[in-house]
Amino acid sequence: MQKYWTVFRVNWQNALQYRGPTLISILGNLMHISVLLYLWNAIYKDEQRLGNYSLSDLITYYVLQLLINGMVLSYISWQIGTEIREGSFSNFLVRPINYLHYWFTINLSGKLFEGLLISVVGLIMVGLLIDHIALPSDAVTMVHFALAMMLAGILAFEFDFAIGILAFWLVQIDSFKYMLQYGMFFLAGALLPLDLFPALFQQIAHALPFRFMVYFPIQIFLGKETQPYEGFAIASIWIIALYVVLRFGLKRGIARYEAVGK
Amino acid sequence: MQNTLWRYFALYRSFFSHNLKNEMIYRANFAINIGLDVFFTMVNVIFFAILYGNIETVGGWTFHQTLIIVGSVGIIRELAYLTFRKGFLELGEYVRTGRFDVMLTAPMNTAAHLAFRHVSLTESLGEGLMGLVLVGYGFAHLDAATWISIPFYCLMLINSLVIYYGFCLMVSSLVFWLIKSQELNTMIYYFMNTARYPRDIYHGLGKTFFTFLIPSSLIATTPAAILTGRIDATLIALSVSVAFVFLTLGLFTWTKSLNHYSSASS
Repeated sequence: MQKYWTVFRVNWQNALQYRGPTLISILGNLMHISVLLYLWNAIYKDEQRLGNYSLSDLITYYVLQLLINGMVLSYISWQIGTEIREGSFSNFLVRPINYLHYWFTINLSGKLFEGLLISVVGLIMVGLLIDHIALPSDAVTMVHFALAMMLAGILAFEFDFAIGILAFWLVQIDSFKYMLQYGMFFLAGALLPLDLFPALFQQIAHALPFRFMVYFPIQIFLGKETQPYEGFAIASIWIIALYVVLRFGLKRGIARYEAVGK
Repeated sequence: MQNTLWRYFALYRSFFSHNLKNEMIYRANFAINIGLDVFFTMVNVIFFAILYGNIETVGGWTFHQTLIIVGSVGIIRELAYLTFRKGFLELGEYVRTGRFDVMLTAPMNTAAHLAFRHVSLTESLGEGLMGLVLVGYGFAHLDAATWISIPFYCLMLINSLVIYYGFCLMVSSLVFWLIKSQELNTMIYYFMNTARYPRDIYHGLGKTFFTFLIPSSLIATTPAAILTGRIDATLIALSVSVAFVFLTLGLFTWTKSLNHYSSASS
């Protein structure tokens, strides 16, 4: 455990040093979200309506999406892919550390750091938009939401890790990874709430586990999902199943690994 | 004057063909780039398709009209890669390593050299072609399409390119202080990303912000407005003035910032 704590601390300091890029990407996201808020406002001003969302619901959806993008969605696959492709992965073969757990720790500290930064931005936004934010009234909802965010974070990490270790099998896949990641976020409800999709796509998105990363926690927060226990169970099963698959995949990947350039 | 113009045209042509030859070596890369562009354009289209599945108009723009805005962004991106964009992507590396010395001493305007050295036909070609398809598709579905608007549309595309260039110059000038450009390029990327929504959604502070500070609301909406038959003299005058101001300020900032370049390693 001690060694993972060290990894956590070192990466935290790293994140502190590179706060510039993190801040820029948060500001960029913030800008995009603000544009979308104007978009919803314009639509509702023309007395149109999106599904069963009120304007406050939608604004809350996208403010939460900003938070989720920072705290939940994982982007470590880029570094994992580079490590495998360029051969620095070899260093891990001789270290008494589990590669999956190692990256879980790095991701966790990175996401907590970004979460801290984004909470400041988020609080300012909530302050400005307080009349338009649909805050949950009871504590149970907040507990459900917190639990859903935790599950979402683990699930998002596992999927991203899976994309990262694809590099064992496919060498030049940056673009492919980009598409996978973006497609996944789309089906998670990061761009639009899933219940606005046409019926067929709704069914598809519902059957897939990606919705637990974005859509599901937000639905809880908005009070549209008051009995989330079935969702918690399904998400947990996915987390465990993916964990088994990833450990197996990592083993197979290491067997294939060629240590390029070392 | 005419001689200078002719010389720059020849320089552009030789850089262009040199880069194209380089790009053609990596054919797989070219195919992947196109695939990626098509994918992301389609994601944007699907976003609006789902949105318009629930509503009729956004700020007065119908689905087909919005496609013209989305497509215009793609066309402007490709035009930018054909003229200046990639040079700014490389600028950080030049400044960090000190190779920027060569740019300064070459017998050619520095900004033009940086731009021309990296002109690329293929980098954003998929987006450009998809843009043309979307604009064509949207145009074909308009109720009141007039062919006469097309040349004016093209003129306003060039005007938007000037706004984009001025913005890039201003933001990229910071390289000489920061010695790295990745975050700056991210900022420019986000700038173009917000251009695909109709300008009419903004009001109040947001409208001012996305017009004068980050003029992304003018980039695609102004040309698209002309093509969709919303000839609005005020909007056109505004876009042209913003282009003029941004280009002037951009060139000024750039020239001033060059003084701050301290050559590395030499």
